[in-house]
Amino acid sequence: MSADVRRTLLSMLIVSVCTLTAEAAGPEVNPKRIDILGKLSDHHYLDFKPLAKVELPRILRFDGRWEFYPSTTAALNREDGWTDAYYLANPDDLVFKKDGITLAPVTYELVRADGNGPDFDASITSHLVWFLLSGVLVFVVFGRLASKYDRRSAEGLLPRGAFMNLFETLVVFIRDEVALANIGPDKYLRYTPYLLTVFFMILFMNLFGLAPWGVSSTSDVMITAVLALTTFAITQIAGTRDYWMHVLAMPGVPKFMLVILTPVEILGLFTKPFALTIRLFANMAAGKMLVLSIIGMIFMFAEIFGDTVGLVSAAVWIPFTVFIYAIKIFASFLQAYVFAMFSALFIGLAAADHSHDHEHS
Amino acid sequence: MEFAYLAAGLGAGISMIGAGIGIGMIGASAMEGSARQPEAAGDIRTSMIISAGLIEGATFFALAICIVLAFK
Repeated sequence: MSADVRRTLLSMLIVSVCTLTAEAAGPEVNPKRIDILGKLSDHHYLDFKPLAKVELPRILRFDGRWEFYPSTTAALNREDGWTDAYYLANPDDLVFKKDGITLAPVTYELVRADGNGPDFDASITSHLVWFLLSGVLVFVVFGRLASKYDRRSAEGLLPRGAFMNLFETLVVFIRDEVALANIGPDKYLRYTPYLLTVFFMILFMNLFGLAPWGVSSTSDVMITAVLALTTFAITQIAGTRDYWMHVLAMPGVPKFMLVILTPVEILGLFTKPFALTIRLFANMAAGKMLVLSIIGMIFMFAEIFGDTVGLVSAAVWIPFTVFIYAIKIFASFLQAYVFAMFSALFIGLAAADHSHDHEHS
Repeated sequence: MEFAYLAAGLGAGISMIGAGIGIGMIGASAMEGSARQPEAAGDIRTSMIISAGLIEGATFFALAICIVLAFK
């Protein structure tokens, strides 16, 4: 089910590319076409082209039973039942067989012989791998950082070196400019750890997307939805009595207005994490799409004007891509900051005990 | 229907015009404000990003409608 939702949401936002990929799904796979949709979507393997392709474990629930396979190939070559099927228009062209054994189908979508998919697909996918990796990285970096600070402050020394200074700048920035500015001096220390975690996890995930073979998991709407859901949960837990009063029955407002106001406020609770989800996802996915589209221009030129023109036009498109990459570095920081900022803002609004001396009109 | 695609494209474009004008105005005012009072630049930046984010959120809803049109 989650795979379905993910596919729907992803394909919804990539509508502009769909015509491009629909053309690509001819009977013969044209090497000049780039499958942008395929590059953006989640996969059941890690692609280290041209060195290797690492298949990831499959965890599936079928007929009320959990099944575990170390890789997709292992699941496919099992005795009974598992065959593969491609979900897009042409099931045949992207699945290849060798000596009767099915190898690496592109989508790795598993269905039974009768065409039914698993009830629940909890497989570890590439986006999840990078998500977890970023979590581990945050854990390792800040574990090291904390122990370094402990050691140095015990000796009465100041932070030294690129590692400590780089992270101190960012940590202090998040603490002062994000947490303190939005939550207020009474409660900000309680929520700073969460804001730091979410900032650095998003930052690392965004930057992974710029590394060779890396995938930015934040371009997956499910990952950003989970992050936004965490913020949502923390916001509700942080909510004071005052906050709930404002949501359910805004004080100082005529009774008949509450009929309109209360549903709007309750809707507002859910649009906040929704906007968080879509903002991060759309920004990161759009960045990826932009790079692929500009690279795709080379192939487009080659198709229309011939290979030589395509090759020469690369002199324009490659620097352009580098420029977009530079913007993506900036956007990685900006989007991580914006996510942390809005999280802090929502938490701050919920956690504030403001006195009722101001007018509600 | 092909017209749904046309409508989706036009809708996306028009909502982008609105968002562009809105965020542009916020940026211009923020620039002006922080040029006049450089010591308030930090606060202005924060509120600028908040307002820009809210406009962005509204634009996403417009874009969602376009996407539904294109995909329905």
